[in-house]
Amino acid sequence: MTAASDRLELSRLVHRFGLGPKPGEYLQLLASGIPLARSRILARRSDAGLVGVDTQLYPDLGEQPSDPTANTAYWTEVYNQSQTVGTWWMDRMVAADYPFIERMTWFWHGHWSTSISKVQFARAMQVQNDTLRTHALGNFKDMSRAMVQDCALIYWLDGEENVAYSPNENLGREFMELFTLGVGNYTQNDVHQAALGFTGYQVDLNAGTVSFDASQHESKPVSVLGKRQVFDAVSLSDWIVSRPENAKFIARRLWFRFISTTIEPPASLAKVFENRDISVLINTIARNPAMRRPQYSQAKAPVEWFVSACRALRVTPSKLMAAGDLDWLMSSMGQFPFNPPSVGGWPYDEAWLTAAAIPYRMQLATALVKAGNLEPLTSVPKSKMVQAAADWLGVAQWSLRTERALNLAVSDPSQLALLALNAPEYVVNA
Amino acid sequence: MSPCDFNRRQFLKYTGAAGAATMAASLTMDDAAQAATVAPLPVGTPILVIVTLYGGNDGLNTVVPYLDPAYLSNRPDMSLDASEVIPISDSLALNGTMTGFGSLWTANKLAIVLGTSYPNPNLSHFSSMAIWQTGSPAGEVTSGWIGRYLDAYPRDPFRAIGIDSTLPALLAGNERVGSMVPVWGLSIPYGSLKTQLQQLGNTSKQDSALVADGAESISDLFALSSTLTPILASGPPSSDSALAQQLFTVGNMIAANVPTRVYSVSLSGFDTHADELSQQNALVGQLSDAVAGFLTQVGATPRADDVVVMVYSEFGRRVEANAGDGTDHGTSAPVFIAGNRVAGGFYGEQPSLTNLVQGDLAVVTDFRDVYASMLEDVLDTEAPKILDNWPTKLNLITPASS
Repeated sequence: MTAASDRLELSRLVHRFGLGPKPGEYLQLLASGIPLARSRILARRSDAGLVGVDTQLYPDLGEQPSDPTANTAYWTEVYNQSQTVGTWWMDRMVAADYPFIERMTWFWHGHWSTSISKVQFARAMQVQNDTLRTHALGNFKDMSRAMVQDCALIYWLDGEENVAYSPNENLGREFMELFTLGVGNYTQNDVHQAALGFTGYQVDLNAGTVSFDASQHESKPVSVLGKRQVFDAVSLSDWIVSRPENAKFIARRLWFRFISTTIEPPASLAKVFENRDISVLINTIARNPAMRRPQYSQAKAPVEWFVSACRALRVTPSKLMAAGDLDWLMSSMGQFPFNPPSVGGWPYDEAWLTAAAIPYRMQLATALVKAGNLEPLTSVPKSKMVQAAADWLGVAQWSLRTERALNLAVSDPSQLALLALNAPEYVVNA
Repeated sequence: MSPCDFNRRQFLKYTGAAGAATMAASLTMDDAAQAATVAPLPVGTPILVIVTLYGGNDGLNTVVPYLDPAYLSNRPDMSLDASEVIPISDSLALNGTMTGFGSLWTANKLAIVLGTSYPNPNLSHFSSMAIWQTGSPAGEVTSGWIGRYLDAYPRDPFRAIGIDSTLPALLAGNERVGSMVPVWGLSIPYGSLKTQLQQLGNTSKQDSALVADGAESISDLFALSSTLTPILASGPPSSDSALAQQLFTVGNMIAANVPTRVYSVSLSGFDTHADELSQQNALVGQLSDAVAGFLTQVGATPRADDVVVMVYSEFGRRVEANAGDGTDHGTSAPVFIAGNRVAGGFYGEQPSLTNLVQGDLAVVTDFRDVYASMLEDVLDTEAPKILDNWPTKLNLITPASS
């Protein structure tokens, strides 16, 4: 008999650091013991699951044509790509045998929150996505350098309009507030001066590329956080990221999204991030004793719920339904990749647990169960089906309430699966 | 009377019993608490509709100091001239797209609270919106101000309803939360699946706080759906703006006497750092059309005098335009209060465009004076209890005539 705390810890490892178990994976990992299971989940290996998955960027659509008919077709294609690109990424999240890197990329997408609603061009979002994946477990200094030169981010925060003779504060402010330091660790003057440091970057939105226009860049020294020099985006990013507040801020952001939105991390956590090594930080977080304590539950965001359900049911998102329908259903729950509501990223925990989301979740779950593989349930006798559902989905333990409800459905595995996917213990990662 | 009026008959249908006497014996405590709340809201009970504008609406291009030389010189390519505004005093005018608000002003049903913010305004979207939604500039409070209003009552999924999929901070109390409903209403499954899903909404002693919230959302769905599904069956006109759709949905619930005291709706897109003029004109035009249309909709019901609409954003914007013909984050801005019982006119005064405080507009009115008025004069609640002993309020709601 496995200890309940092992089941809980593993449930958190597979859902928060992976993207939910594939069929059979939860029990296999449980049998291997937590230390080995954790290493397996946090491992980065060449991923056989990704063979055959489309990871190519969409082609550059070029400048918009002047011919009216061609122009209409061009913008139709821009729109179609903006609907399919979310599924392009989710296919990858679902297919991966080692989803940790996708999970981290997903975290960073919410951190450097950029929305296609303004950027429009899917390719620019894919370029950013590749950048985030490249650095997802690397050094935050390198990630930040790459992001201040990222086309989608610059355009999203009006960097395009940020010129030396009249700086636009959007990027400078959000860079310090939301991406690197946290509110309260800079002054309004720092915002203004940082904006000057970020001047002169121009984007080619359809290509997803950035160029530097020295004539629009502030060539005089500016003063940011007590340091006065001529900055460009890279040197400014390096300076801000070198501040001790950055270590504390990033450590807290990861803790917030992986462990708890209400209980603070230990003060020592920022110390392990002194070198800005993301891999060291996240590995430390994954080993924190909080992982075994009941009070550290977290609600799954809709994408996390959907991807984990797809993985369990062996469903490929792009094959489940039309891209526009999937976009609509998930957006109705409040979340679709590449379309966060603001630069602050997505809400969390109880904000997701609304009556409004349930009918859409039920609709998605119905489609998933119809398209999916229910063998983990159909291969066991009815008397064992409810427990098999927990093992299959990576749920630590059903409550008596849920057990009762699921027991009413053992004669119909599809219905049992539909209920299990909507059970509070699956919607929330206990 | 509309066919989807929600009345006592519906109440009995919701509880699913043939006779009230036999029913009472079979109700659990939770059921009884819920069922008791599903009585229709008596006509004459005030209702607050909160409109949140996300992104920081530019107050100066909404209530426009269109004759002020400083306005024109600070915004050479993004100021509105006399032909593009609706004058409402000898110095101020509404953005010309806001014809609906213009009519409300003329009818004396629109209060404009000028220069509203809080001490030492925060220029971060998220910090400032958190301050407005918690009602606490001190920043120590995490619960929403309407959430704290809900905390004072037994659990009741109807008391405050937001139109969206995710819960905004203002509706999250320490103990209670508002319910969220999409504009298309809430559907529940049929047959055995319905019964089994409903069971998943029961509470369990084994639940963590969040798992309990998850279960509660399921039981809320069932409680809300039986009442709201017939009321929201038709849905809003698809040609309407997102805000108009939300308010249309609220209007249908109000007309059907749904027992809700607070509704929350929102409009996004106000973070106009670049190319502001056309975007912001369109947005405040949508706001004005949607609110005016909504007040016309409820104006045709017996609840015409019950409804008060409050419109706010997390901050206004900088006086001076930037090179991208946009504006960066600013401080104070007007708050709008509209409705039949609103004493129309200006409250506070327009902050100077030349005597700036740290480069931004001064704060003339504290938003807690507005909230206190909404709590005391619309929601019949003692404001100091909700607003950390905040002592003052504006008098902008006239007592009910009856």
